[in-house]
Amino acid sequence: MIVDAQNVSRLFKMPAGPVVAVRDVTLQIREGDHIAIRGPSGCGKSTLLHMLGCVDAPTSGSLLFAGQDVSRLSDAKRSSLRLKQIGFVFQRFFLLPMLTARENVELPLSEAGVGKTERRTRVTELLDYVGLAARADHRPSQLSGGEMQRVAIARALANKPQLLLADEPTGELDVATGEQIAMLLDRVNADGTALVIVTHDQALAGRARRLLMMRDGAIEHEATA
Amino acid sequence: MNAVGFAWRSLVRQPARAALGVLGVAAVGALLFDMLMLSNGLVLSMRDLLDRYGWDIRVAGGDLPLQGPRIRNASKTADTIAGLPSVRAALLLRIADARIDRPSGPPLTTQLVGVEVRSAPGRATRTSPPWTIVKGRDVNNAGEVVINTPLSSASHVAPGSTLTLRALCVAEREALPPTTLRVTGVAEFPFSGVDEYVVGGTLATLKTACGGNVEDEVDLLLVTSNGDADGAAAAIRAAGLGVNAMTNDEVVGRFQQAGFSYFRQISSVLTAVTVSFAVLLITVLLTVSVNQRLGEIAALRALGFSRSRVVKDVLSESVLIVGTGGLLSLPLGWLLAAGLDDILKAMPGVPAELHFFVLEREALAIHVSLLVLTALLAAAYPMRIVSRLPIAATLRDEVIG
Repeated sequence: MIVDAQNVSRLFKMPAGPVVAVRDVTLQIREGDHIAIRGPSGCGKSTLLHMLGCVDAPTSGSLLFAGQDVSRLSDAKRSSLRLKQIGFVFQRFFLLPMLTARENVELPLSEAGVGKTERRTRVTELLDYVGLAARADHRPSQLSGGEMQRVAIARALANKPQLLLADEPTGELDVATGEQIAMLLDRVNADGTALVIVTHDQALAGRARRLLMMRDGAIEHEATA
Repeated sequence: MNAVGFAWRSLVRQPARAALGVLGVAAVGALLFDMLMLSNGLVLSMRDLLDRYGWDIRVAGGDLPLQGPRIRNASKTADTIAGLPSVRAALLLRIADARIDRPSGPPLTTQLVGVEVRSAPGRATRTSPPWTIVKGRDVNNAGEVVINTPLSSASHVAPGSTLTLRALCVAEREALPPTTLRVTGVAEFPFSGVDEYVVGGTLATLKTACGGNVEDEVDLLLVTSNGDADGAAAAIRAAGLGVNAMTNDEVVGRFQQAGFSYFRQISSVLTAVTVSFAVLLITVLLTVSVNQRLGEIAALRALGFSRSRVVKDVLSESVLIVGTGGLLSLPLGWLLAAGLDDILKAMPGVPAELHFFVLEREALAIHVSLLVLTALLAAAYPMRIVSRLPIAATLRDEVIG
């Protein structure tokens, strides 16, 4: 079991009163899972994803990551957990524009203290894996949207995470490019990394083996392929 | 990529912002450097001038050298002082105003300095007059003089030629016959102003120029001790000669009380102001930069970068900007100080050899310390922003934005 979430809720205190973004969600993510979360805007998909990725903490309920109670971990330990066991892919890529594709992918490895030789080998493997070996020395501004998302996926996979979380990974891409990214994510999952995708894209969600439909912060129903 | 490398790439990413920060720190740092050199510069420079020729005690008729009545019975007083066991030699120094006639143009108003060394019989004396020969030789006999460089240029007189001078020794308007003096050298007189003309010679030469019409009075006695200036000054005071003996340290101390301390106070205020400007400038630049990159920083945090790591990135950026600007500020400050020094020395009565800005190790150390403090203070607020950045909320806002 990678993630075991029991009755997790996330409440935000707003000036107009508290808002429950995620309500009593119970969810298990196992090795090799391929999950898509769908639902209308504001239903709590991204908030749930952030809690699964340990960047946000539930206000109630328990969330165990690889058996560790996330709410009991210090900020530094949570950072370390994210660095080594979780990969993130964002809608807006968030590549660092001053770094090349190679350097962007190398960042998490460097932060994890991986040696230079091993880093270089791993970066080369990853860029080859996402089909961008030839663009290694290009900066994000010299890449297309699809290429940037490929680099972001390579970066997310740098430290061989157990779980890859993707928040609207095709949201800024055209249909054809989105399809390529979807295929790449399928491959990542097929190679053993558990995958959770938050998306509005029905086609992308349809590729998952488990589909969670959310409404008003709760999982309305789960479908299994 | 470590924090410094990362910070460097962030700066290069926005070269205009980086250049603005570096140039701003360089300009403010140059001012800071100058203020630090100014704060103690006059004191150090004055001390250097006083110590330059080995005379470590000043004996005057008033509270400060050359600012009170003359010393009466000068010969006897000098002999008494020179005879003290703790004293090696005493130098009588008298100053008279004089006019130098020129073949063309108006006469030049000058100062005529006459000196004479006294020491106890059998006591070895190797003393220097209060000037430095830069051309020709020093005076050996009465009737010989050295002149300073501005006078040599203005009067077109070189070593080996003669000078016709009318001294004004007793009354301001008294007309004295001209005296022709032989110029043996060109000298630097450390206490003369940039545009002042000075003639130096023996006390006998001055008396001759004054037509013998001078009392046994001098403006100042310079004394060199046997090594214990404080002891020698105390002995002179105890001798009951009705004079005021001051070691060079005490002279500097009195000048500080009399006016030098204003420079220190002004420089302290301006130092505080310049450091504040530098802190504000870098804080604004870093804060704007951090605010523009909140999404990226949140993404890095989501990818596992620790809070301390992103804080280090911001601090490194601050250190790089302040460090580079600080390095540039040193030559810039030096050039600025040289220009300001020239302007200030052009004020009437300021010795040409006196420097307002003096580089000392302490000033450099304070400069570096203040720049380090600037880098830390300037980074404090943006570091706080990134350390408290809510990752999830920022990522959400970036997508909505």
